[in-house]
Amino acid sequence: MDKKPSFITLDFQPIGRRVAVDPEITVLYAAQLAGIDLVAACSGLGICGTCMIRIINGSVSPPSLSEINLLDTQELDNGYRLACQCTALSDMRIEIPPESLPGGQKLQVEGLGLEIKLAPVVLPYELHLVPPTLDDLRSDSTRLREALQELSTDDTEIAFPVLASLSERLRGQAWNARAAVRTFSDRREVVGVFPSGTNLLGMAVDVGSTKLAIYLIDLETGATLAQKGIPNPQIVFGEDVISRIAFANKDVKNRELLRYRLIYALNQTIQELCMSVGCSVEQIVEAVLVGNTAIHHFVTFLPVEQLGAAPYVAAFSDPLEVRARDLGLDIAPGAWVYFPPIIAGYVGADHTSALLAAQYHRNGGSGIRMLIDIGTNTEISLGVGKNIYSWSTASGPAFEGAHIHDGMRAAPGAIEKVSIVAGKSTVATVGGEAPVGICGTGILQAISELLRNKIITTQGTLRKDQPGVRSQEGRGSEYLLVSAEKTGHGRDIVITRKDINEIQLAKGAIRAGVEILLSHAGIPPEDVEEWVIAGAFGSYLNLESAVRIGMFPKVSIKRFHQVGNAAGTGAKQMLLSLDERNDAVKIVKRVEYIELTAYPEFTQCFVEHMSFSED
Amino acid sequence: MSDLLRDIYSSIMDGRQKETAEKVQEALDQGADPSVLLNEGMIAAMTEVGKLFEEGEYFVPEMLVAARAMQTGLGILKPYLVKADVKSSGKVVAGTVKGDLHDIGKNLVCMMLEGSAFEIIDLGADVDPQRFVEAVHQTQADIVAMSALLTTTMPNMKVTIEALKAAGLRDNVKVMVGGAPLTQQYADEIGADGFAPDASRAVATAKSLLAA
Repeated sequence: MDKKPSFITLDFQPIGRRVAVDPEITVLYAAQLAGIDLVAACSGLGICGTCMIRIINGSVSPPSLSEINLLDTQELDNGYRLACQCTALSDMRIEIPPESLPGGQKLQVEGLGLEIKLAPVVLPYELHLVPPTLDDLRSDSTRLREALQELSTDDTEIAFPVLASLSERLRGQAWNARAAVRTFSDRREVVGVFPSGTNLLGMAVDVGSTKLAIYLIDLETGATLAQKGIPNPQIVFGEDVISRIAFANKDVKNRELLRYRLIYALNQTIQELCMSVGCSVEQIVEAVLVGNTAIHHFVTFLPVEQLGAAPYVAAFSDPLEVRARDLGLDIAPGAWVYFPPIIAGYVGADHTSALLAAQYHRNGGSGIRMLIDIGTNTEISLGVGKNIYSWSTASGPAFEGAHIHDGMRAAPGAIEKVSIVAGKSTVATVGGEAPVGICGTGILQAISELLRNKIITTQGTLRKDQPGVRSQEGRGSEYLLVSAEKTGHGRDIVITRKDINEIQLAKGAIRAGVEILLSHAGIPPEDVEEWVIAGAFGSYLNLESAVRIGMFPKVSIKRFHQVGNAAGTGAKQMLLSLDERNDAVKIVKRVEYIELTAYPEFTQCFVEHMSFSED
Repeated sequence: MSDLLRDIYSSIMDGRQKETAEKVQEALDQGADPSVLLNEGMIAAMTEVGKLFEEGEYFVPEMLVAARAMQTGLGILKPYLVKADVKSSGKVVAGTVKGDLHDIGKNLVCMMLEGSAFEIIDLGADVDPQRFVEAVHQTQADIVAMSALLTTTMPNMKVTIEALKAAGLRDNVKVMVGGAPLTQQYADEIGADGFAPDASRAVATAKSLLAA
C-alpha cells in the first residue's frame, strides 16, 4: 500500500495559486491559510454552501452529509463540492467559481460632516538645528530634543522606532526638520521627523463586520483628503463575528490569521489612498480605529473566547493606545493608534464613536434622543437627559441584500425603489440600468408596498388570490416583481416568502430593542424628540417604508434624521481633537448597557414585532 | 369533523389565541371528547402548521402565533385530559446549552412538542451540563433536547453528553440536538441520537427516537 504523502499540492484556478498543504486539512482551511479569498459565511460548518468549488482533477474525500444536502446530484456529478467539507487525497486542480469569491462592491463611506475645533494629539514643530562640530559633540537625538525644548518648555522623548532613520534624515535635510510631537497625559514624544513643510496626516478607520471605511485626513486643516470603503477581508472566515470567534477558538494560529488579513488589507488601502493624493504613508502620524468589540479584539490580538459565550464580556474595555508598528500597520514608524473605550461585549467602540458623532455629550446631554446604528449588528441608544441606555442585536445582513433570493448590494442595476399600484409594480434601479437584483432599501420598500396593497397579510404570508403571487415547487410562494423579459439578466426577479421572513426577523429585532429601551426608561415613543438613523444602509433607507413595516414606531417622519456612517465620523473627530477623545470617555461612563437576551420581555416583544401592524 | 372542531383547527392555523380558547371551552361545555379535541383539533392543526413550515409557506412568525394559540387551548384542555387519562407521548428535558442565552428556537421546539402531547421540562437558557444531568435523574425523562444558536457554544452539547455518560445516565435517555449552526453531521460527531433542522421536524425526530 502507498504511504500517505506528507504534503499535497492544490492548484487554485482561475487565480493561478498553487499551495502545498497538509493532507489532513480541508480545502477551505488550506485556502484560508494561503490567503485565497473564498466566501465561507458559516466559517466552515457545512451549513451555508457559499464555499462551493469545482474539482477539475485529482481525487478527493467522498461527499459528506452536508454536501449531499446542499448540492444537487447534477452539481456533485459535475465535480462541485464544498471546500469546507472535502480534503484532498492527491494533488488537485480546483476551480473557484465567481460566486464563491467575495465581491469588490461599492460601499458607502461618507458620513455626517461636523465642525469641530482642531486639537490633535500630534502637532508639528519646524526645527533648524545647528550641525555638530568638534566643539559641539551632542548626539543627534539630544540635539533634536534640546531644539524642541527651546520651542516648548516640556521635555520630549524620541520614539525608539524614529531613531533608526533620524541621523540620515537630519543630514539629508541639511539639519532642517519638521518634528511630529505627540502629547500623552504625562509625557511628549517625537513620533516622526520629516523634511520642512511636510503635511502631517492622520487616518480614521471604521471596521465593520462586513465592510471597512478608511479616511485619510489632513491633521492640520481637518480636511478629508481621500476615503475608501472595502469589504472586510475576515468575511472569508465567517460572515458574522460569532463564526469568526468560533474559528479563532479552534487554534491560536487562526486568531493570527484574522488579525493579519485585516491589517494587510488596511495597509494596502492606506497605500492606495496616499498614492491617490501624492503623499507617503509615512506622513500618517496618528490613527483612530473603531469597530465592534470582537473586531477590536481581533485587531489588537486580545482573547475573544469569552466573547463567544454568556455573559459575553470584553477582555478589555478602556481606551487603548498601541504603537502602529506593533499592530503591523505601515504608517509613520513612531505613530500610535487610538482605540476608544468599549461599552459592552456587543456594543463596541464603533457605537461609542457613533454616540460622539450624534453629539450625545453636547448641551450637557439634554433632551430625549434615539440613535439607531443599523448594520450586521445594530446598536441602539436612548439618551434621556444625562442617562444613555444602550442595547445591541444581531439584525443580520439582510439589509445589505444578503440572504435575499434576488438580493444584491446597492450597485448599478439594483432595484432601490418600488411602487405597486392596482396590482402593477414599477421599479427604479441604481444608475437607471435594467434590473438585475434588489438591494436592502428596495426590498424594504417592496415589502412596504406589498403590505399597503394587502398582497401580504400582517403575518407576512403572501395571499394566493392576489395578482403577481405564485407558488413555486420546493420554495413556497413568491411575488413576481419584474418578469424575465424586463430584467438585465433574463431571469425573473421575485420576492419570496423567505425574503419577507428575513426582513421580519431583522426589523422585529430592531423594533423590539427600541420598545424595550423605551419601556426601560419609561418614555412613550412620541416623547422622543429626535430619531437619529445611522449606518450605510440607514442613510439610503426610505423612512416611510420603514415606519409602515413597523421597523420604527409611527411618529412624525420629520423627527427622523439620517446621518450616514456616524461611527466613521466619530473616529475622524477623535483623530482631530483630544477633547473629543475625552468626551467619548465621558459618554461611555453615562451608558447603562442592557443585555436583551436576558430581558424577560424580549422574546414576546420580538415575536410581536415580527408581524406587521394593521393600518 | 364537527364545526367546532373545524373552528379550533382554523383558529390555531391562523394564530387566533382568544378564539382558540373560546372554541375549546365551548366544545368542552357541549361535552366533546377531550382526546378528540386534542388529536383532531390541536395536534392536527399543529401538524399542518409544521408541514407548511417545512414547505416554506409558513415561517417563524406564523409558527409562533399558532403555537401560542395552541398552548392557550391546551391550558384549558389539560385538566380534562388528566381526568380522561390521556397518555403523554413522552417526557422531554429541554434547554439551551451553557453560554447561550438564545431561547426562541428552544421555546418553539417545546411548544411544538407540547402540541404533540409530549410532557416538557424546560430548563431555560444557559443551562449547565450538570443541570441537564440532574433533571434527567429526577424526572426519569425519555429525551434530552438541546439547542444552541451560537457556533461558539455548540461544543457544550458534547460536554453535556459526556456529563450524562459520566453520571451513568446516557443509556437511559435519547439525546436530540438542534439550532441554526447545527447539521446532521455535527450531531453524529458528538454522539447525539437525533437531529432536527427546525421545530417542526423536532416532533418527528422525538417520535422516531421513542419508537426505535
